[in-house]
Amino acid sequence: MPVSRKKWTQFKEALEGYLYLSPTMIILGIFTFLPIITSFTLSLNRIAPFGNQMRFVGIENYTRLLTSADYWNAVRVSLLFMLGTVPIGITIAVILAIALSYPMRNLSWLHRLLIFVPIVISSAVTGVLFSWIYHPVVGYINYLLSLIGIDGPNWLSSKDWALIAVTLAVVWRQLGFNVIIALAGIQNIDGTYYEAAKVDGANVWHRIRHITIPLLSPTLFFLVLINTINSLQTFGEINILTDGGPGRATTNLIYNIFVDAFVGTPQRGIASAQAYLLAIMIIVMSFIQFRGFGRKVHYS
Amino acid sequence: MTTATPPITPAKRSISASDWWMHIFLIGIGLLVAMPIFIAIFASFKLPQDITNYPPTILPEAWTVENYVTAWTSTPFGRFFLNSVVQTGIIVVANILFSILAAYAFSFLHFPGRDILFYLVVGSLMIPFQLTFIPNFVLVTEWGWANTFQGLTAPFLASAFGVFMLRQFFLSVPKDLHDSARIDGASNWRFLWQILVPISKGSISAFGIFSFLGAWSQYLWPLIITSEENWRTIQIGLRFFLFDQERGADWGAIMASAVIALIPTLLIFLIAQRQLVKGIAMTGLKG
Repeated sequence: MPVSRKKWTQFKEALEGYLYLSPTMIILGIFTFLPIITSFTLSLNRIAPFGNQMRFVGIENYTRLLTSADYWNAVRVSLLFMLGTVPIGITIAVILAIALSYPMRNLSWLHRLLIFVPIVISSAVTGVLFSWIYHPVVGYINYLLSLIGIDGPNWLSSKDWALIAVTLAVVWRQLGFNVIIALAGIQNIDGTYYEAAKVDGANVWHRIRHITIPLLSPTLFFLVLINTINSLQTFGEINILTDGGPGRATTNLIYNIFVDAFVGTPQRGIASAQAYLLAIMIIVMSFIQFRGFGRKVHYS
Repeated sequence: MTTATPPITPAKRSISASDWWMHIFLIGIGLLVAMPIFIAIFASFKLPQDITNYPPTILPEAWTVENYVTAWTSTPFGRFFLNSVVQTGIIVVANILFSILAAYAFSFLHFPGRDILFYLVVGSLMIPFQLTFIPNFVLVTEWGWANTFQGLTAPFLASAFGVFMLRQFFLSVPKDLHDSARIDGASNWRFLWQILVPISKGSISAFGIFSFLGAWSQYLWPLIITSEENWRTIQIGLRFFLFDQERGADWGAIMASAVIALIPTLLIFLIAQRQLVKGIAMTGLKG
């Protein structure tokens, strides 16, 4: 019977498909999709420390956040950190990408090697390298400052400077990634625009200002979103450089979640409420980024 | 990244003065960017008593490997390194294997719900770690997997990024290849491993590199899921090394341990820079 044989083949192929997908779907199901629900459940409960005692409290954890000074401090730190890393990181990256796109016949591999290398450095190693560079007495930054007569601060234990110190370290770690994306965007720009501009007598600055930057705007949009998401997720450098301090000067949202959930007396309910709010912000931005990304793939 | 670059400035045949300025500018900036790494490498070879000399120098006056001996012997640093190797190894192998299988199902097989499942996988890329790490910690701890390799690796065995990336490549493979292999009597399993995987080596190894870098650099999860010293990964070991009060600030040994932690990723970068850069530029993701 040909019909039933065809059905049998289809059935076998479907079975094979589900089998091949099963490891991925099971892992994603347990560790990515299930937590969307369990995290929300946790956020509606007060959880007794070290026990499995859960008491349903409705939205109390969320309302408590509204009046929590620590939470608003973390919001403020995250915003300041974002306002530091995103524009500084992208501006430096675009300048370097424009310089790297300058056609040179030799040594461009060396320029790229040196500028891209931070992409493979972990946040823990970044933290350790910068804690040495920021050393108040024998650190390189304060030594350089002393050469021009400035008495450098104790970067990591100063309430005013710690966040700036962390910002610079994170900008450094993300630099390679940002330059690669910006450079790819520049290289996608149609060369004939530059030829036409040259014929019209536009100089280098005009070409950058009126061709490169406008045509790079989709790439810049992408960079702003992904850097904003990354800045909200910064944890490792803070944990190593400042441990959230001094005081709470570098405790951003993710750090506050970590402290509430895992340091001292765990408060996993209120930590989950914060995680949920932070995740919603990140998901909204990821969604915008994915739509933009899909479009970019579609038309190129 | 060797493709023709659009001429923002006119291409010149001979090396002109502005070329020289550009070289000097780029090398200077490049050295500045890479400086923290150079500083750490050179500091790790300084004599312990020289490292806190003032004014600070970059190159050691006398070279020594003493810091590496200290770093390796004074903490269970060898154990941390081994933990990282095993943890990373498990994640990379599982990522590659599971992603190949899932990508194959999504690109060559037909079954009900295929597209919905694919959107689910891609959608999972949007779920941030912040949302999942507390429930996952609770779950993995309940299973008794704290301070085990299962606990360190389980949440990361599958990679939606890998499925997405490999599926993109598999879709570019001509369907005829699959059809003719099937007509010749090859099973899907044989076609996958004997034909498709060999011709996809480039994409698979590119994904493997991303998977490796991500796993080796992990921080927050190993920090919370390992409470016993013996189970720390090298990244977490670095933190405790730095904060260890008894040892004081033995910066030479700290720098040596940071260098040990960064050597595997640095080697990958030097060997596979082109693939890595191409992968980032194409996907816009770090893995």
